[in-house]
Amino acid sequence: MAKVELQDVRKSFGTHEVIKGIDLEIPDGAFCVFVGPSGCGKSTLLRMIAGLEHTTAGTIMIGGKDVTIVQPAKRGVAMVFQSYALYPNMTVAENITFGLRMTNQSKATTEKKLSDAALILKLDRLLDRKPAQLSGGQRQRVAIGRAIVREPGVFLFDEPLSNLDAALRVEMRTEISRLHAELDSTMIYVTHDQIEAMTMADVIVVLNAGRIEQVGSPLELYHNPNSLFVAQFMGSPKMNTFAVELSDYGHRKTKVDLPNGGFIVVDGSERLSGPAVLGVRPEHITIDTKGELKGEVVLSERLGPETMLHVDVGETEPVIVKEDGLNKLSRGDQCALKIEADACHLFASEGQTIRSGSLLD
Amino acid sequence: MSTPNRRPPPSLTPWLFLAPAILFFSVYVIYPVIQSVMISFLDWDGLGEKTWVGFENYRDLLDDPSFYTSLKNNVIWLLLYLAAVPAGLAVALFLNQSVFGIRLYKSLFFFPFVISNVVVGLIFSWFYAPNLGLLPNILDWLFGTPIAVLAEEDLVTYGIIAAGLWPQIAYCMILYLTGLNSINSELIEAGRLDNAKGFSMLWYVVLPQLRPATFIAVVVTVIGALRSFDLIAIMTSGGPYGSSRVLSYFMFEQSLSEYGTAMGYGAAIAVVLFAIMLVFISLFIVRMLAQERNA
Repeated sequence: MAKVELQDVRKSFGTHEVIKGIDLEIPDGAFCVFVGPSGCGKSTLLRMIAGLEHTTAGTIMIGGKDVTIVQPAKRGVAMVFQSYALYPNMTVAENITFGLRMTNQSKATTEKKLSDAALILKLDRLLDRKPAQLSGGQRQRVAIGRAIVREPGVFLFDEPLSNLDAALRVEMRTEISRLHAELDSTMIYVTHDQIEAMTMADVIVVLNAGRIEQVGSPLELYHNPNSLFVAQFMGSPKMNTFAVELSDYGHRKTKVDLPNGGFIVVDGSERLSGPAVLGVRPEHITIDTKGELKGEVVLSERLGPETMLHVDVGETEPVIVKEDGLNKLSRGDQCALKIEADACHLFASEGQTIRSGSLLD
Repeated sequence: MSTPNRRPPPSLTPWLFLAPAILFFSVYVIYPVIQSVMISFLDWDGLGEKTWVGFENYRDLLDDPSFYTSLKNNVIWLLLYLAAVPAGLAVALFLNQSVFGIRLYKSLFFFPFVISNVVVGLIFSWFYAPNLGLLPNILDWLFGTPIAVLAEEDLVTYGIIAAGLWPQIAYCMILYLTGLNSINSELIEAGRLDNAKGFSMLWYVVLPQLRPATFIAVVVTVIGALRSFDLIAIMTSGGPYGSSRVLSYFMFEQSLSEYGTAMGYGAAIAVVLFAIMLVFISLFIVRMLAQERNA
């Protein structure tokens, strides 16, 4: 229902700049997820969009209107907080309708919106309870209900699932996605959990140290990261990386020397020689007697459908290989790893991608 | 190997831990209360013969205009002293911001609570003093009539209460400042997004979170008002003509002061004051128990 545009948005606390010039356009109706490690500025950026944090420089536009200096309540946004921030002295119904009562909406409208929201969120039987009498998941739903009734153009979520246990987190994840489909409004969602980002987002914005690292769809970021940072941040277990040496193999191909003697040949690299970082995801490595990399299994994590093998190849960190769940290898076994050359990413030592291993069409 | 049988019975342990508290509470609180009630039925000068007089001390009280003056003053104290609660809240809200030197300002506001009530009483006595005091001079300059507050029968109690409010407001302020520290800032932000501002923010979002602080502030203020004594002793000694007496001072005057030897009569006053306090204390305890049950 509302497009969000950020133009060279900056934020400083004292002399310390935490948001260092963000340009971003979030289309109307999109589910946009801000991800990044702790301290990257993602929550601060969300709070600036909400108006809870003063914007040092730049312009924030919501629905085509400049709201940079507008009060939070007048921006047409609603926010779901990490701690839910329910008013402890009010019942569920009072919590949900507080914003409506503060804007002097008629009693009939308030009642109608309350019952609609309660129905969507399955809260109708809890309306007279106090927050202290609710479970974590129910509190979360009340917090979302409070946002829904205000019919905002933009929903803002600040790590809303981080206080829930794993099972409930999966459930609420699908529920929020369903809500997005039903309400068809713009949602901006902050998380440090890349799985939440991958599963929910239309658009992911990866932030690092106050700057946008990359913007794109989940699969685009996963397969086509434009830096080592994004490549390592997206995906779990994370991408394996090795320091390697490149040399020209002729015919625009590049020879990549692997740590313990083997090599692979890739095409399409921007640089043909010099030091680089090779990145390859666990699912693009297979156990194969003819493999280029020899190593010893130090840990096998049996997840059921698949097994994650941690293989020591003499580097500081073991290589993680995603294998079939029935794989028999265990700690101490010797094995050889075959790396799928097409799926290899190469990064310059400064971090930018010089060869994408994207398997997307 | 210890067997469960060799341990003392589990019901004994809590009593052992409670024993010191029970002992001291009995000796220093319960026993004196009972003793006071007993003495209130006697005619006794504190040294000589004790004579049982039944309810005569209480009957005398009901006929004593000084008792009514004291009781009325206690009620005035109670009502006006409660102003310390909202005033303390206001000061706390004002000081609850981060500007340069705020710690210094906070400690300055807290200062009257730190100094002795005797000093507070003296400062206000000088403030009210005719000729040299600040207040009479200001009133003289404004209206042309200097008023010596502590010499006016109708004003003296209010004058002393004003002095008492000074440290009491500081006390309530401290209680509220700690309460404000523990407020969940996300709730305030949720309120801002919900369009609550100014008074509605205070009333619906901030005050409910300060309820524990408010409760303690009301309790200490009510009890402080009922046991007011030191300021009256310092500033007026109950005068002029006994018009600023409260029950506790009246009791002291009747039984413990230089000229008072009516131990029985004084004890009767103490029992009345105790009964009044008991009403409030019971209310507080009932409320605390109810809260505990809800939590």
